[in-house]
Amino acid sequence: MLKTQKQKDILFDSFIYVALFIIMLTMLYPFYYVLIASFNKGTDTLLGGVYLWPRNVTLENYKIFLADTKWLSAFIVTVARTVLGTLLGLLLTSLVAYALSHRDLLFSKTYFTIIIFAMYFSGGLIPYYVVLRSIGLLNSFAVYIVPSMLNTFFLLIAISFFREIPGELKESAHMDGAGELVIFFKIILPVSTPVLATMALFMGVGQWNSWLDSAYFVQSDSLRTLTFRMMEVINQSNAPMDSLAVANRPTSGVTSFSLQVTSMVVSIVPIICVYPFLQKYFVHGIMLGSVKG
Amino acid sequence: MEINTQYSTLPASKAGKRTSLWKRFKKQKVLHLFVGLGMIFLLIFSYTPMFGILMAFKDYTISDGIKGIFTSEWVGLKYFDEFIHDYQFGNIVRNTLVLSFLKVIFAFPAPILLAIMLNEVKNRGFKRFVQTISYLPHFISWVVVVGVSYAFLSADVGMINRALMELGLIDKPLNVLTSPNYFWGFAVGSAIWKEMGWWTIIFLAAITGINPSLYEAAEMDGAGRLARIRHITFPGMKGTIVVVLVLTIGSILGGGLVGSNFEQAYLFGNSINNPTSEIVQTYAFKVGLSDGRFSYAAAIDLIQSVISVILIFSSNYIAKRVSGSSLF
Repeated sequence: MLKTQKQKDILFDSFIYVALFIIMLTMLYPFYYVLIASFNKGTDTLLGGVYLWPRNVTLENYKIFLADTKWLSAFIVTVARTVLGTLLGLLLTSLVAYALSHRDLLFSKTYFTIIIFAMYFSGGLIPYYVVLRSIGLLNSFAVYIVPSMLNTFFLLIAISFFREIPGELKESAHMDGAGELVIFFKIILPVSTPVLATMALFMGVGQWNSWLDSAYFVQSDSLRTLTFRMMEVINQSNAPMDSLAVANRPTSGVTSFSLQVTSMVVSIVPIICVYPFLQKYFVHGIMLGSVKG
Repeated sequence: MEINTQYSTLPASKAGKRTSLWKRFKKQKVLHLFVGLGMIFLLIFSYTPMFGILMAFKDYTISDGIKGIFTSEWVGLKYFDEFIHDYQFGNIVRNTLVLSFLKVIFAFPAPILLAIMLNEVKNRGFKRFVQTISYLPHFISWVVVVGVSYAFLSADVGMINRALMELGLIDKPLNVLTSPNYFWGFAVGSAIWKEMGWWTIIFLAAITGINPSLYEAAEMDGAGRLARIRHITFPGMKGTIVVVLVLTIGSILGGGLVGSNFEQAYLFGNSINNPTSEIVQTYAFKVGLSDGRFSYAAAIDLIQSVISVILIFSSNYIAKRVSGSSLF
């Protein structure tokens, strides 16, 4: 009896390990394939048969990619919007959250009602576009930054985090004559690394990945982002134009497909580099959000 | 905080209250300044667009700016009527609903299953590793997912098609990305791939909250692994499952757990799979921003928002009735 139970357990465990292994492979292999394809000669990849490692190793794809000023400017715009957008988003969201974390704040009920209502209802994309247009944000770099500076979801998470900070910290600073801004920057922010890291990760990833604003709120070529360019090149290669694009560069082994995977690697790598380090923070952060939100 | 206690000792007369209120406000003025800054952002980017809903009932032209929302001429339900009689109406509504319900049926249970499986893994290193890998796709933009799908599934360069043909399993490539027959299955599959690991975090958190002594007691009573999952792990997750389900159904047209329908339908949609890939949101988007028919698009948008609100309230109500737990 005991033995069959054990055998059952082994069967059960192996099933789970196999299933998880397959899931893991499904998640990982696509990224790996894109990586090796970006290091393989483009025309060679099209012949098929590249599965586990690059067959015809080349850096040509990256050379073409980096030589194209279009991609370079897209990369710069994307980095700029990610850094600026994240910093300013963190600043405003946590500043507002700090003020709202005071339980004795007058009218806080009114403030919260306004915030919650804005979280659940929206006017939709079309009126939003009209607003952006009317305040002159269309076709400017600011359209990437300003509208996303206050994130209502993270506002609520930050508030509940700030409320956990012992009041004595603030009180002693008050006694020493510190103003609210000094308390915020010198005391609250330094002890709030977990929530700040979570917010930074999400705002950063959101900025980095965003394509809709670049596609529809901006017309100027110099303001396009990496994701937008990628979308462009993917759409092109889905069209029958593909063969033409290749034929235009008969001497190079670069195809629109190899350019596409290269741009994908460039767009994925920064995220892969950052997120394992922030993992412990965001797992905690999302749990906090799921409990309080 | 000490400000509060200080003033609560003042005489409770009406005049006293008022002056103390004013004094308290003055003391907090910097804080109110901070909040005010945030309120300005909400006013501009959330509340002004809400007034924009009026557009749906008016003949709005973009050259009128924000003012035009109020000054342009009322046309009543003209644009709603037009949408209902649109030749694509039936298709669009069907696609929107089918896509959403397929996702609830197939994509919603996936993270629950993964969480249960991960919970059974004793090796902590392996568990952490699988988890780290599984939520990687969540951080990748849908545009990259489109690119990856193209690399794997397209008829000419797709790796899977190539491999299947080399193995002799198929004669000619499957047009997964450019055929109306595959779109729903593909959309559900890619949503699972992208979001499953991510939502597992919340369900694992729920499992962590289960009292370990329950497992010990069950083991004493002779319950096997499956029985323990069925009678302890699963019931322990029920509250979380219901809340996430309500959220999912409410945001069904917008995104949430099952992945953004809009981004999928917009990015994966093309002229060939259009009969199954066009949903209300993408249609409103195209009509509005590409064709410049703002009032018409606003009307379509509004219909979809109203459906969302109805869905979230009714699913919440049903959840409360059926399981006792609910979102609000």
